Amino acid sequence: MNALLTSVVAGLTGGGAYGLLGVCAVFTYRLVAVVNFTAAAIGTTGTFVLVMLYEAGAPLWLAMACGLVAGTVAGIAIGLVMTAWFAESSASTKAAVTVALLVGIVAIGLRLTGGQHPHHFPDLFPGSAMRLAGVELTFSSLLTIGLGVVFTVLAETFLTRTRMGLHLRALSERPMAAELIGVPVRRLAVLVWGITGAVTTFSLMIIAPQRSPDFASLSLLVVPALAAALIGLFRSFWITLVGGIMIGVVEGTMSVFPGLSQYRGAVPFLIILAVLLWLQRGARWDEAR
Amino acid sequence: MTSLHKLLSAAGVAALCVAALSGEALAAGPSCSGGTIKVGAVSTVTGPVDFSEVPKATQAAFEQFNAAGGVNGCKVDYTISDDKADPQVAAQAARDLIDNKEVVAMVGGASLLECQVNGATYKRKNVLAVQGLGVDAACFNSPSIAPVNVGPFTLTTAVSYYATRSLDIKKLCAFFIIIGGTQEAYKAAIENWEKITSQKVHVLDLTLPLQGDLTPYVVKARDAGCDAVINNAVEPGVVQWIKTADAQKITGINWLFLSPGYTEQVAKALADTRQPVYVGTEWEPYTDVNSEANKTWVASMSAAKRPLTAFSQGGYLAAQVFIDIVKGIDGPVTRDAVTLALLKMKPAKYPLAGSPYVFGETPTHSPMQSTKIMKLENGAWKVQTPSWVVLPAT
Repeated sequence: MNALLTSVVAGLTGGGAYGLLGVCAVFTYRLVAVVNFTAAAIGTTGTFVLVMLYEAGAPLWLAMACGLVAGTVAGIAIGLVMTAWFAESSASTKAAVTVALLVGIVAIGLRLTGGQHPHHFPDLFPGSAMRLAGVELTFSSLLTIGLGVVFTVLAETFLTRTRMGLHLRALSERPMAAELIGVPVRRLAVLVWGITGAVTTFSLMIIAPQRSPDFASLSLLVVPALAAALIGLFRSFWITLVGGIMIGVVEGTMSVFPGLSQYRGAVPFLIILAVLLWLQRGARWDEAR
Repeated sequence: MTSLHKLLSAAGVAALCVAALSGEALAAGPSCSGGTIKVGAVSTVTGPVDFSEVPKATQAAFEQFNAAGGVNGCKVDYTISDDKADPQVAAQAARDLIDNKEVVAMVGGASLLECQVNGATYKRKNVLAVQGLGVDAACFNSPSIAPVNVGPFTLTTAVSYYATRSLDIKKLCAFFIIIGGTQEAYKAAIENWEKITSQKVHVLDLTLPLQGDLTPYVVKARDAGCDAVINNAVEPGVVQWIKTADAQKITGINWLFLSPGYTEQVAKALADTRQPVYVGTEWEPYTDVNSEANKTWVASMSAAKRPLTAFSQGGYLAAQVFIDIVKGIDGPVTRDAVTLALLKMKPAKYPLAGSPYVFGETPTHSPMQSTKIMKLENGAWKVQTPSWVVLPAT
């Protein structure tokens, strides 16, 4: 079996997760103009509620429902902080605030969940869907990619075809003007935070069983997700989704080459760097002229 | 180095002569000015990991020793310093313990980086460290430090040796996460296994990521035809690796891990798996609380209300080694006397460990060369080797 093809397929599992979380990041950015570093941490919070309840003997559906509610509440809580105190701040300030919140959530999360001690994450969709190039593609990883596609289509349609989507776009681009013409700014923003909270929580519930089952590692999934969002320039859902999958595939491929694979963790950062440099090229040229 | 040893031995002999000459005037056994023996430990308490259970167990053992009257009225005054996993803080903590607190030895320390940072200081100041849990490679590579645990590197060799000997492994593959300066130490561990078993490692991959999806690596192990894979992942990594192997429906590979994988949380998180999962322990399996070898440790920790974990075994064992060393000293328990006693000590057997503990005068120390193998069965660890797996000398 061609080792390269195998590693490409093996990379899909990670890539689907990055793409899905990346799409969530773009959704948040386009609607409330925040580069949200806490996205995965919010999802992780909800997922750990599921795990703790499940470990305590609650039925899976109940634990899952409580986890989703917790993730939504966590999303709304962060949303309230951002809209109450930082609505008028610059994008970089808001991003910095979410980084600070991420550090705080991870610190508290690690304490409450027993640090490095792993937990038993129930597989919500167990089993393998198909075998491709010698790699089992699990239901979970296919579902992650599928969910990414569904969420992309929904977000795209919602933003361009509905009145509410229009309001939300107005809200992110000119919050003051939107408020003046009567758009219920606060309520809409909090709604967006709640929805992304719920979606990322559901995503993390699917992704978590295949990842390192501790609070910090799961929360840091936001880094490749934001790299994917950057590939889509925080605008295009489709490019973000494909970009996320590509990051996973590149990571997988790199593990075949011994010389490269030790730099595997650096892939998202290299991609962020490359995209930033590419974006700056215009500015440099304009200046030179 | 040899001349230094000669010098040290000469000094030792001279000290013994002096002691012998004045011996008639002294009572037998140790004595101490002020009735206290000052001992310290530099450990990572806050920071990315918390190893404080190790020195806290040492502390508990010392408190019980003191409560029982100490030895000849000498009691241990024990100080734990937190290095916060910060090299500067670790260096400062060691200097403070040595220069200001005037400790006679370091006992029961467990730190991410203390050995690396303070090895040279201990050598310069003639202080020896009986590390409760040696973590970084320098703990097993310094003339002044001798941990009471086997450590990840020797354990890699020992667990692989067990697999070759008892699981009939022909194609051993090794996947390691390399952090800090551990690459050479893991390579040496595998080379050591090659020497002992006259086999060649089938795949050696030193690029396992701390974060990220493991599917490509697990698939690589399968496609290479490995029949056993040794892996140095810590708790969450062990769970992720086995879950990935399950998702890939892999069969016929024995998964070997080191002592960080040996926790009840890992066993519970992997309750559903059918993969053959083995871990090597540092000491007598701590989950086997009824074992004869664990008896005194269990009694001591229960009395002090300390948890019964592998970490507390290390701390307890380090305290026992030190107490025995002190009991063997004739005359004042000074830093020089303790150092000399450790350098000259005879190998001492403790039920918690498979190998006798000895400090001695070798340029590096790794006295513990034995492990017991645990196998995962239905969400619990079962002792696979009731007797110790002792690594043959090379």
